[in-house]
Amino acid sequence: MKEAKTGFTPSRRGFLSGAGALATAGWVGGAAAGWVLRPAWAHAAGPIKMGIATDITGPIAPSGNADWQVAQFTIEQINKDGGILGRPIQLFLEDTASDPNVAVGNVRRMIQEHRPDVVLGGITSAMRQAIKDPIVTRGRTLYIYPQLYEGKECTKDLFCTGPTPAQQCDKLIPYLIKTVGKKRFALPSANYVWPQVLNKYARKVIEANGGEVVFEEYYPLDQPEYSATISKIKDGKVDCVFNTVIPPGLQPFMKQLYESGFQKNGGVLTCVYFDENTLNYLPANEMEGLYSCLDYFQAVDDPFSKKLQEDYAKRFPNTKYLFTAGAAATGMYRGIKFYEAAVKETKGDLHRDAVAAAMDHAVIEHGPGGGAAMVPGHMHCKMNMYTAICRINAGKPYYEIVDKADMVDPREC
Amino acid sequence: MANVVSVTFDIASFTSVMVLIVLGLGVIASMMGIFNFAHGEFVLLGAYTVYLSASAGLGLWFGIVAAPVVVGVLGLIMERLIIRRFYASPIIAMLGTYAIGLVIRETVRGLLGGHYESIPEPIGGAFSIGGVNFSIWRTIIIIATVAVLSGSWWMLAHTPIGLRIRGALENPMLARACGISTSRLYGLTFAFGSALAGLAGALIVPLYQLSADIGIRFLVQGFLSVMLGGVGTFSGPVLGAGGVGVMASGLPWLVPPVLADPLVFLIALVIVKIRPQGFIGAART
Repeated sequence: MKEAKTGFTPSRRGFLSGAGALATAGWVGGAAAGWVLRPAWAHAAGPIKMGIATDITGPIAPSGNADWQVAQFTIEQINKDGGILGRPIQLFLEDTASDPNVAVGNVRRMIQEHRPDVVLGGITSAMRQAIKDPIVTRGRTLYIYPQLYEGKECTKDLFCTGPTPAQQCDKLIPYLIKTVGKKRFALPSANYVWPQVLNKYARKVIEANGGEVVFEEYYPLDQPEYSATISKIKDGKVDCVFNTVIPPGLQPFMKQLYESGFQKNGGVLTCVYFDENTLNYLPANEMEGLYSCLDYFQAVDDPFSKKLQEDYAKRFPNTKYLFTAGAAATGMYRGIKFYEAAVKETKGDLHRDAVAAAMDHAVIEHGPGGGAAMVPGHMHCKMNMYTAICRINAGKPYYEIVDKADMVDPREC
Repeated sequence: MANVVSVTFDIASFTSVMVLIVLGLGVIASMMGIFNFAHGEFVLLGAYTVYLSASAGLGLWFGIVAAPVVVGVLGLIMERLIIRRFYASPIIAMLGTYAIGLVIRETVRGLLGGHYESIPEPIGGAFSIGGVNFSIWRTIIIIATVAVLSGSWWMLAHTPIGLRIRGALENPMLARACGISTSRLYGLTFAFGSALAGLAGALIVPLYQLSADIGIRFLVQGFLSVMLGGVGTFSGPVLGAGGVGVMASGLPWLVPPVLADPLVFLIALVIVKIRPQGFIGAART
């Protein structure tokens, strides 16, 4: 087992991040027995044990590493301020390797070896489905899932802190129809669960607001050629493309759409998983005018969010792994802070049922993009949602917030 | 009419991409009897060369020109060090090249940090003729494919080295007896096939994102093309790639896109069943 301490010596820290980079490359085979990040000080009752199960290696690694860094960052802040009611938090990292089959074994081992008081993590829905059983059912442990997703997860003791379809659609789509003035929607999508369920909800909102869905279509995730789709967009006089095609199929689709003159002729493109990480995914001219809707953008300028971003940049200078909403990093921060609030309410009682009862109505005052509040009995949280448009300045794309909605209801469970 | 032209153009441009990628694979498979499972990663290396050149400030064009050279040299080194030990056992060669591919792929994934990188076209945008838009870069790819195809054909059919390659292909024993160094020819052929893969990667990466998996997507369809066209000739794999390219880009017009992918395989397998020697092989025997 490899160990390191927070805030100890720079060389150890350097070793840890270096090893993290190697692990990202898939060069260290799944960090065999996980990582332990011990607090710098102790408490008579021992530390609060928090497990992070996320994708350190494999295709989802960029998001997984961002989540891990944000978890370290948040825990260090909490520990620096005296922990939760005087008890420090100790972090355990388990690599889920972007592969649900590998993850189940790793997560089960983490639960058995370390008996964490809570586990946070999982990015894809497939991953959540795979690890929730070893965590919640067999492991009898509280589980917090941080990523934006298609909704419908209503398992006891499983709390979701990322945006739901309602949160991403309820404000964005009326904005597109009523303010931007687009009516004819196309829903081109990658063929997996998130787009399928999200589209069902989006279609309802589009039709309820007087819009029309011209077509809804699914593609293999790596389809390289979209001329048939582009022609349908043209012939159907589509003026708003609600895109859920994801990489690697994303770029050929966007390129062909752009080359067909869709944007030039007044068409609007929206893509609700786009955050600051995806700014490099497409050439700037293809990004211009794209709408996204998330719980946080780095352009949000409330003092707390700004300070958070500055501190994160100080802790991880020049990191490739950004503190963004699409990578589940904001959900990770929120999840840890919800847990902190819940444990404070139970006065340090870490038993699952007690903490879950407190989690059910936990509130956090501040977070990236503002505060958040669990909706009692619904396992999801209300939070501020921002609609942003991508603009270009000197060839560099960036987001500009055009609409903010306070405490949007998740409408789940 | 305009619609038909633009559909034809789209199909032609994707087919060119397929042909470009399969050409190197086909050359190596036909001439040397080796199914190079690292071919997708050679395509990736070509794309990565363009990315490196662009981020080093040398520009995209330099990268596109350098890609076939860099990947060709790498191919030659690999052939001298590793591949030539596999000639006696094609099955082991598949495993060996697969391993090489895996190493290249994961190394590049590590260097990219797992991220996707967008690479712009050196000449972007579109031009229009009679109200129909044509993407400039796709047009360049079609032209480049035709040029590479005719160049390769000319080299094989009209130059002394082409004659030796054809000789070594027809009968390696006899070729050696005539004083042709088949070992050197194989080295050159492998380097040539790798260079073609590098060029393909460099040309197509602006259409897609640079990611470690860019080659895998085309590898499977590439093998299907070689199977379809038949091993042992120059034109077989090219025709096969043409067939697969037309089907892969044409079928989404007719059936839902999720069905198109498996349907390409189904149709190709049926054809292979009827003509196990491939298009050209069947014509020859």
